Amino acid sequence: MYTSTHTEQQLLAAFAVGDRYAATKIYNQYYNVINAWLIKNGASEDDVADVYQEAVVILYEKAQQEEFRLTCSISTYLFAISKHLWYKKASKQQKMPGSLSDHAGTEEGEDWAYEDDVNVQVEREAHYDQLNVALEQLGEPCSSLIKAFYHNDKSMQEIAADFGYTNPDNAKTQKYKCLTRLRKIFYGMQAK
Amino acid sequence: MSADNQVWDLAEGYINNTLTVAEREAIQHRMAADAAFAASFQECADLISSLKGNGRQQKLRAMLKDIHKTEIAPTAKKKATTIPLRTHYWRTASIAAGIALITSMATYLSVHPSDKKASSQYSVLRREIETIKRSQNQLIQNINQQKAAKPPAVARYSGTGFAITNDGYFVTSYHVTDGADSVYIQDHEGEYYRAYVVAFEPKNDLAILKVEADGFKFGKGEVPYTFAAGKAGLGSKVYTLGYPEDEIVYNEGYISAKNGFEADSNQYRLELPADPGQSGAPVLDAKGNVLGIVTAKGSQSEGNTYAVSSKALLQLIHSLPKEMNLRLPHNNKLGSLDREQQIKKLEYFTCSVKVYKK
Repeated sequence: MYTSTHTEQQLLAAFAVGDRYAATKIYNQYYNVINAWLIKNGASEDDVADVYQEAVVILYEKAQQEEFRLTCSISTYLFAISKHLWYKKASKQQKMPGSLSDHAGTEEGEDWAYEDDVNVQVEREAHYDQLNVALEQLGEPCSSLIKAFYHNDKSMQEIAADFGYTNPDNAKTQKYKCLTRLRKIFYGMQAK
Repeated sequence: MSADNQVWDLAEGYINNTLTVAEREAIQHRMAADAAFAASFQECADLISSLKGNGRQQKLRAMLKDIHKTEIAPTAKKKATTIPLRTHYWRTASIAAGIALITSMATYLSVHPSDKKASSQYSVLRREIETIKRSQNQLIQNINQQKAAKPPAVARYSGTGFAITNDGYFVTSYHVTDGADSVYIQDHEGEYYRAYVVAFEPKNDLAILKVEADGFKFGKGEVPYTFAAGKAGLGSKVYTLGYPEDEIVYNEGYISAKNGFEADSNQYRLELPADPGQSGAPVLDAKGNVLGIVTAKGSQSEGNTYAVSSKALLQLIHSLPKEMNLRLPHNNKLGSLDREQQIKKLEYFTCSVKVYKK
């Protein structure tokens, strides 16, 4: 049997492709320490779940890049991102304890480390939100068909059966029609 | 197919990485020549990759919520008496996680057509072992029975491995050991030793394993070759030793392109004949430096072979925990020898890797 020693790189590689065990391991491993820090700095239980999950999502997006996986320390990264996210969220909610702004994110001289990563994620989310709006406007059956293929990993075969097309090729032609319409709506929205 | 559908088709193939090199080049040429096509292609590709990214992120968020609910919420209710995971549980826990990790990666690779191994131009070089060959092995094994550990069943695949340290660390291709129940090596003298996976990197198709037996040694002295830290130049003469059969086989050739399949800079393209079973074989230059590891065969021409560069291997080795105490060989003892003498030394440090699966 395998007695593999798993390095952080391997864990991240598995996490990057959406592996649940890797995700669970990462999630559990750093939850307590970050939870303690957030609570100490005025976060509620719900805030903690929000902030920490968002940080893990950002880690996931970054882990798509191989160079990042090779150099990253998961704990440092998650901690820095969580602090940053909480700083943003707390200042929005005006829950900010006075002491936080002086020290947040400045651990070991890494002054606002990874600020870019947080900003990239904010932009990405805005982009996805817009895409979701466009998908709603697209109407049925197109919206469901595209979600089935791109979000739920259904094959053209399954889609043909579910949506009542005679064969996968017809379903594919329909998918391209839907994509063409989605493209018009989505880029039309962006042009505005 | 209408022009619209064709663009979608190309964009989808591009994003999923299922296009051939020629198709990719054709798109690039067309984009350079035709600005309208370029804009349209770009938009389509962006939309598809956004749709996929959006889907992935939604799935991840749902999964994290669920993990939170099952892992964190129940313990939080008991009012934060965190139970420290004792060290002796860690071992089992990490092994279990490890197995799950390996299995899930294996499915990922086989399910997603985007993986380059699925491409028709690229075929990995592990060998499916025929039962006839096996019966020959059995004979050899009976003779050595007192010494050799007995493999449990018929080997499903074989590849080649070569030593990193004399005390049993060796490297082979990830796809050789992928999904294995157990792995054995058969050394130069035909003896079997059980080995386990220490680390792997699917992307570069590398796996590092260790022979389990205490006091195991590949050869008499330290490993006689060193690993090149940089990439060797175009036209460098190279040779390889591998086990496409039960006997060690020598082949020679040259580096025909500095980058490998689909311009992968972690690979070389070689003009070097290779057969199934040679995955994981060392690629050496004339002075006995390891330049790479044979990984796959191209279909464009007969001798077209791909090798992962030693640089990628060194990266993987450097990422290992220090406690593993894996010391790379520092002295190259092959430089002054002629080819025949080099091979004589190398034979001890090259082995056949047999993989057993259900």
